[in-house]
Amino acid sequence: MKTQARLIASPSVRHRINVGVRTGLAAFGGYGLALLGAAAFAAGLPFDFRPDAVSLAIMLAFVLQLVAIIWVFAAATVTRAVLGLAVPAALFGLWLLLLRQ
Amino acid sequence: MTTFDQPRPLRQSMSWLHTWSGLLLGWLLFAIFVTGTLSYFRNEITFWMQPELHRAQAVPPEQIAFVRALALLEREAPGAQQWTLTLPNPRNPTLGLGWQAAMGGERQAAPGAARERPGRSEARGERGASAPDSAAERRPFPADASRERPGRGEARGEDGARRESPWRGSGEGGAFAPDSAERRSFPADAARERPGRGEARGAGNASAPQETRPQGSGAGAQAQRQGRGGGGGGGGRGARIVLDPVSGDRLEGRATAGGNFLYRFHFELYGMDRIWGRWIVGIATVFMFVALVSGVIVHRRIFKDFFTFRSGKGKRSWLDAHNASSVLSLPFHLIITFSGLVLFGHMMIPTAVQSAYQGDNEAYYGAMRAPMASAVSQASGERAPLITGLAALIAEAENTWGDGKRVGSVVITHPGDRNAVIELRQMNFPGLTGGRNIPSLRFSGVTGEPLGASAPREQSIVQAVGSVLNLLHRGFFATPAPRWLLFLSGVGGALMIASGLVMWTIARARKTSEAARTHWGHRLVEVLNIAAIAGLMAAIAIHFWANRLIPAGLSARADWEIHAFFIAWAVMLVHAALRRSKAAWVEQLACAGVLFALLPLLNAASGGLALPGSIARGTGLLVGFDLCALVSGAGLLFAAYKVHRHVPRVRLASSPSRGEEPDPDPGPETEPGMPLPETMEKAA
Repeated sequence: MKTQARLIASPSVRHRINVGVRTGLAAFGGYGLALLGAAAFAAGLPFDFRPDAVSLAIMLAFVLQLVAIIWVFAAATVTRAVLGLAVPAALFGLWLLLLRQ
Repeated sequence: MTTFDQPRPLRQSMSWLHTWSGLLLGWLLFAIFVTGTLSYFRNEITFWMQPELHRAQAVPPEQIAFVRALALLEREAPGAQQWTLTLPNPRNPTLGLGWQAAMGGERQAAPGAARERPGRSEARGERGASAPDSAAERRPFPADASRERPGRGEARGEDGARRESPWRGSGEGGAFAPDSAERRSFPADAARERPGRGEARGAGNASAPQETRPQGSGAGAQAQRQGRGGGGGGGGRGARIVLDPVSGDRLEGRATAGGNFLYRFHFELYGMDRIWGRWIVGIATVFMFVALVSGVIVHRRIFKDFFTFRSGKGKRSWLDAHNASSVLSLPFHLIITFSGLVLFGHMMIPTAVQSAYQGDNEAYYGAMRAPMASAVSQASGERAPLITGLAALIAEAENTWGDGKRVGSVVITHPGDRNAVIELRQMNFPGLTGGRNIPSLRFSGVTGEPLGASAPREQSIVQAVGSVLNLLHRGFFATPAPRWLLFLSGVGGALMIASGLVMWTIARARKTSEAARTHWGHRLVEVLNIAAIAGLMAAIAIHFWANRLIPAGLSARADWEIHAFFIAWAVMLVHAALRRSKAAWVEQLACAGVLFALLPLLNAASGGLALPGSIARGTGLLVGFDLCALVSGAGLLFAAYKVHRHVPRVRLASSPSRGEEPDPDPGPETEPGMPLPETMEKAA
């Protein structure tokens, strides 16, 4: 069938690798960033009542995950997709590190 | 990393993302949407499923047989710590009695009891959150009763931990929708923790202004006795005693899975560990979120297209239907999806609490409870008769509130003690951001003298946001209009998902003559579409039929209602796999349509209050159910008719070549004039 023939063709294989990488990034990177962001927000947001920070951190985490997933697929290249996750992740990590000290 | 890393246009990527995030779990999302939408009326559904209760008539407080009700409580639950009387309300015309046992609940405490504490206070809040809703809320779901066995300690414990919701801190108490029922099933824990656990006790009482203990402790035990938990929901025969409000006669509703089965299915599925179920639903929700937002990005002309509908044009029409149903209630879809995620927040994003409290969950829950803490009356140990003139107190409270506000429930703490307190809670939900602040008035249970009103609690902005999300997700409103709006939006969401799923196959359909050689993946999607959309509808109808056809006295009948649902669904799947797709669509839609349309007749024939009777008596919730069944039946039959009559347009030439474009889905905006395949058409 035509579809199958197209899939075997080499541009399609490249495409599949591309999509596979992005899917993995979206699933694990997106969730990881959400977890990391939630940790930083929950500890670092300036609230007197800490549970408020926790609630807000959870809400922001889901938004963060959404944006991360969209970004991973929207970025023109995989390199940019990775950077788009790595930079905020590093920032959140740094923030957490500072909070711990 | 360059050979495979060619830049792709944004819209193409988003289109791909939209297609696949929507398709992959689309069938599950459809089921979640349908059952979740029905859950807005789960009280009504449960009530319908207990025809024994249909003839109860909501009456004003002065006509309620309080004396008999209190005598019954005295007989059934002497020495209980708390009694609750849920007054007849528009969503349930019966008088409900519940109680919380004092020490030594008869029920087996599940392992992980200690962790249940936060859950308990939450349950309380939730119940407080909306009097009209409370009736169903406080009944244990049958599945819970049967699932909570000591052997399942692990899951339970985890549940307990996850049960904490952000809403709780928000003064929203019960916001963690999912848990309402199961929280309630741990009354025994409450009792057990008491001795030697002053701390726990204090925590349990934290929300004094509205303290209601999780009910159904005695209830739970009773539920167990009835086999499968007495059938949750309206079924909560176990959880509660239901009285005819006028005569005070006990009404014995059949055990039923009730609307609570559909409700619980929509967030934790069935037949698996509920933590698994919740994770699966949570992940599906993330997919939904991604599909929604990527869909908006793809959809440039979102508002223009909303006003466009081209009927009878194959894929174009499906696209228009998909767009219209999506855009019309887009705010609803976004809110329902996001709030659904937030309801799972503590489970899915555990790092927030871990980080803020260095892994000390107890500290977190302690902090959340602190603002709610206040004194609770303690029993004196001295006996004193409880006053029985509840109607007078209710009249007094309603006068004090004015403005047509009515009492929704009466909570009596330490009945029979000199320190007994009668708390009258308002029926109507106070407002969108009111959180758990149900206004209430307290009276001495012995002298009847007023003890003051509940103190309103302040909410921070975050808590208010949490409350709003929670309320919108759960439809806690005093009046039916917003709930109907949510219900219709939910229907719109189901249509959006269904049209999207169907579009996937239509966009990929081969020429009809090639149908025999359809790609197995397309065939799989098609079969799943039929079973997940038409088949689910038929299975839900069968669930309602089973409710009336399974003998009322059969043991474990609530289970069989659920089994009937799944057996019917499985049959639909097999049927869809065996039949040609068009025939399968027609047959299943017609089957579901006939079953729904006949529900009012079944209701009349199997002991329920028939439609003319319910209209005459003004039992709105039964009228609503029967009419909804008729409308759904008609809609499904119409859909079946349209599919049946549809003659597929023969495709022009061969499928359009899209060159090397790897994405077979051109996205919602294909080039005009492109020959579009059309295999079937079904009115959405």
